[in-house]
Amino acid sequence: MTPALKISNLVKKFGGLVATNDLSLVIEDQQSVGLIGPNGAGKTTVFAQIMGEHRQTSGSIELYGHEISNDTTPERIRRGVSRTYQVPRPFTDMNVLENIRVGMMPNNIWKMITSPPRHSRETEIALSVGFAKADLTKTPGELSMGDLRKLEMARTIATGTKVMLLDEVFAGLTVAEIAQITTLIQSMRKDGMTFLIVSHDLKALEPLVDSVIAINYGRKIAEGSFSDVMNDSAVRSSYLGAA
Amino acid sequence: MNLRWTHLAMWLAFVCLMMAIPEFVSKGTLRTLIFANFLAIFAISWDVLSGRTGYISFGHPFLIGIGAYTSAILTKRFDVPIEYAIPAAVLMTMVGGIIVFLPALRIKGSYFALVTLAFMELMYQLVQVIRPDLTGGTRGMSGVQTLTRGAVNGYYMSVSLMLAIAFSMWLLMRTQLGTALSAVGMNEESVRGSGLSTTKLKLFAFLTSAFVAGLGGAFYVHYLGSIAPRALFDINFLFTIIVAALIGGASTIIGPMLGAFFLTFLLEFLRPYLPGAERYFIYGTIALLLYMYEPKGLIAIIDKYWQRTRGTFARKQEPGESL
Repeated sequence: MTPALKISNLVKKFGGLVATNDLSLVIEDQQSVGLIGPNGAGKTTVFAQIMGEHRQTSGSIELYGHEISNDTTPERIRRGVSRTYQVPRPFTDMNVLENIRVGMMPNNIWKMITSPPRHSRETEIALSVGFAKADLTKTPGELSMGDLRKLEMARTIATGTKVMLLDEVFAGLTVAEIAQITTLIQSMRKDGMTFLIVSHDLKALEPLVDSVIAINYGRKIAEGSFSDVMNDSAVRSSYLGAA
Repeated sequence: MNLRWTHLAMWLAFVCLMMAIPEFVSKGTLRTLIFANFLAIFAISWDVLSGRTGYISFGHPFLIGIGAYTSAILTKRFDVPIEYAIPAAVLMTMVGGIIVFLPALRIKGSYFALVTLAFMELMYQLVQVIRPDLTGGTRGMSGVQTLTRGAVNGYYMSVSLMLAIAFSMWLLMRTQLGTALSAVGMNEESVRGSGLSTTKLKLFAFLTSAFVAGLGGAFYVHYLGSIAPRALFDINFLFTIIVAALIGGASTIIGPMLGAFFLTFLLEFLRPYLPGAERYFIYGTIALLLYMYEPKGLIAIIDKYWQRTRGTFARKQEPGESL
């Protein structure tokens, strides 16, 4: 079966700094994989390369068997991969529904002019990520951090993504909000979404992933089940600070 | 497109009001209104680009100048009929729009604003030294063919053009495209991250803005019958366009139109009391105070008042429901 995402020998250099060092990974369709590593390990840089925000120095990235390394970010998104950011990036003067609308728009000027917004689908997506009806006309300034994370996920869903990259999705959330986002991710997994999740909150990450990949200095140092990776000596020494 | 019959009724009432004005006002006031109409066109052009996408243009007279000079040169020097000269001028301005767009691929914010200012300055210098036999050099051109004679005809020409541009831009910005362009102004990276090509969107905004500026510039020169580089590429003219858009309410189309009328009449109202440059100080102070009181401009003040009088001020505003 063709994997959802396949990264082969990915290298990214910023001058003399090697941010991604010969990294290879495979994520099967509908699988959920955690990507962990200490600060500066290069996790976000991997996301940026998958999305085409940074071009890799060498290596290849395939999405459902299609090489996407030379595609632009919008092209990659239309092929089915999308991401959220550590710091949410909403459209500040737009309400929840309008934020979602941007994710649903066709990447074609003429169609943008001639096709009306799909209000019912916008509402459906907003409600599916846990927004209350009363929240739909709120602007991002009126939302909690948990709601902003949900809004990012909603806009990502609106693009029609099949592979979702979540970057520090639990950062800045309360315990109750973490529980909400966990439930949301679990429900999306049941619906067939493929995930690559970066998180420093290992406790919250554990129930959400089928396997974990640990990286340090841009290089893969361990891969396997959550418990296997946590018990790996290289991971413990580099990531957890214990031998 | 989020259209309500009340919107169309308001537009119809506004058109009727504007068309009836020559019956009630003096020719002097009509001439002031003609300038306000052209200022509204230029402010709308600026708003489509800068108000929406956040790419602040300090060089809008560059685009207006291309439209005005092209049409003036074609009609006066090459005897091209005006009906061909104006479309050619608009096309040339759109080419100018692409030139202004190129830096926007790499820079934004204050850097972009300064580059556009350089475009205006460059144009000012170039029209004086390159082929002065065509451009008229520092003295500009006079005796350019005019489209109308008399204040009333000039008014109808300018108001028809202004209303046609304002209504079509208003309609355009109420589509999903308007939302996407606003999104570019709020967070360009997120627009890209939503699967939309920001290059395509920005190019469209630049071309549309140039189209309006070129049309306005060409009609303006054929209303005045002359063109003077010092007046056209003047920093005061530039700031009047920007202030009209901001004070009226950027990113709204209606706001810049409102701002243009407000500013023009404010200056005219002050003229008898302060005939010199002092009135620009008063005008600047009023603009500043208004902007500090309501950064979203006159349109937001009117919108709030409207909501309050309808007794629904407390109700949350529905998306895209603003005036």
